[in-house]
Amino acid sequence: MTRAPYLVPALLRFPGSSARQDSWGRLLKITAGGAELSTAARLAKGEVLLAQFELGGERLLMRARVHHAGDDDDGQRLAELVWVDMVERRRLARALLEVLAKS
Amino acid sequence: MAAIGLLAKEAADRELLGLMLGELGHRAEGAGRLEEALEFARERRTKAFLLVDGGGADAESLTRELIRAFPLMPVVVALKVRDASRAVALMRVGAAEVVAPPWTPEDLKASVSKGLRFQGTALSVASSAPLSRSPIWYALAVGLFLAAGLGVASLKRAEANRAAAAARVDRWELPVRHPAGLAFDGKSLWLVEWFTQSFYALSPDDTAVRIVRHLTAETPVAAAFTAEAMWTVSADGTVIRRMRDDKMTPLARYAKAAPNCAGLAFDGLYLWTLDARAKVLRKHLVDRELSVLATYRWRGSKPAGLVFDGRSLWTLDAADRRLARYALDRPEEPVDGIPLPEYAEGDYIPTGVSWDGARFWTVGEAKDGRSPARLVRHKEEAR
Repeated sequence: MTRAPYLVPALLRFPGSSARQDSWGRLLKITAGGAELSTAARLAKGEVLLAQFELGGERLLMRARVHHAGDDDDGQRLAELVWVDMVERRRLARALLEVLAKS
Repeated sequence: MAAIGLLAKEAADRELLGLMLGELGHRAEGAGRLEEALEFARERRTKAFLLVDGGGADAESLTRELIRAFPLMPVVVALKVRDASRAVALMRVGAAEVVAPPWTPEDLKASVSKGLRFQGTALSVASSAPLSRSPIWYALAVGLFLAAGLGVASLKRAEANRAAAAARVDRWELPVRHPAGLAFDGKSLWLVEWFTQSFYALSPDDTAVRIVRHLTAETPVAAAFTAEAMWTVSADGTVIRRMRDDKMTPLARYAKAAPNCAGLAFDGLYLWTLDARAKVLRKHLVDRELSVLATYRWRGSKPAGLVFDGRSLWTLDAADRRLARYALDRPEEPVDGIPLPEYAEGDYIPTGVSWDGARFWTVGEAKDGRSPARLVRHKEEAR
């Protein structure tokens, strides 16, 4: 697995019904199917959110569902996200391919 | 303990964050301006920088300057006002972590700790297995795997059984042409052949001929076994009790005790014979005369065989191609019967029946009289 020289930051937005403030985090791993997110936001399993980040110059807005969430060693939240929008997944896959091809 | 450079415009922020870093075991080097912070970093070899965004300081430009001077040094930014978009923008310019207000030692500790362990994002097109799973998930996964494995194994076994059943041979051509009867001694099937006046002991596994016994003076038509003796019937109706030795030594003869015999069976106490011409079942007492205790009318078309399966008598009807069951206490009427579809084509006529403890066996003579006789092992569920 290729590792980028930086941690991709992500802006986290939540549905209005959840009455939560926007938050942010770092994507530790990104695949076409999902991502691993490190954040101070107290995410819970099953929660739906929008993750906005940039990859290879492309701005992506990915709808995601929290597949698993737990505390890491530093007390922050380590969450596993699953992308739920197939169209955005394809866009992300293309972006990943471009980034990986250049690396 | 790590030396952390602290850059905050307001002294109060420097004091508060300096105390927190001290509580966390770090040595804070406070500075109000960028130049001071850069000088501290050069002199005291700081491991990371903590900047305050707001209060007249623009952490975005400060982060750029710090990273330009120290590209490998992690920069953590503490926001005075919570703004997620601002936090992401700061991270985009290079901040390793951004701490939201109100600042707490826990948040600061986590952010500084992560900043010091700065790594890049792992990228892959293919989805990988998740790293964090609960023990229940693993237990379920293992259980599911085992269940799936068991299911596959069961399906394979069922398929193998089906294939084996399909491949199993249940009928064999025999090296004789004129079978008259069939008997089972617990190990072998004994075929009675009237034309060659012989008995053939066949293996029930592959019908290989184990023993051949020729009778020079008799024409056998039926046979049955008890624990101690072998009983045979000749074409003239003579019943012979024999030793179960290699020579089939005769022990007793009962002249014309079983005329026109189509079948012979022993139920553990009485000897039963089936008269093909009179169409009667006879019950014999095993005494010196083989006395007939009772005679029962047999209700069938063409008697061809008789066998005892441990509970009931069964007769073979060659015309109807079926086995009929008779209760020992009421042998006048058949209790029920089972058809023999193996003879449905009509090119073989069943001439003998036996029971090996699990299944019926029949032997058939070719209708044209020239083809080899056929041995048939019937299905287990037939009974």
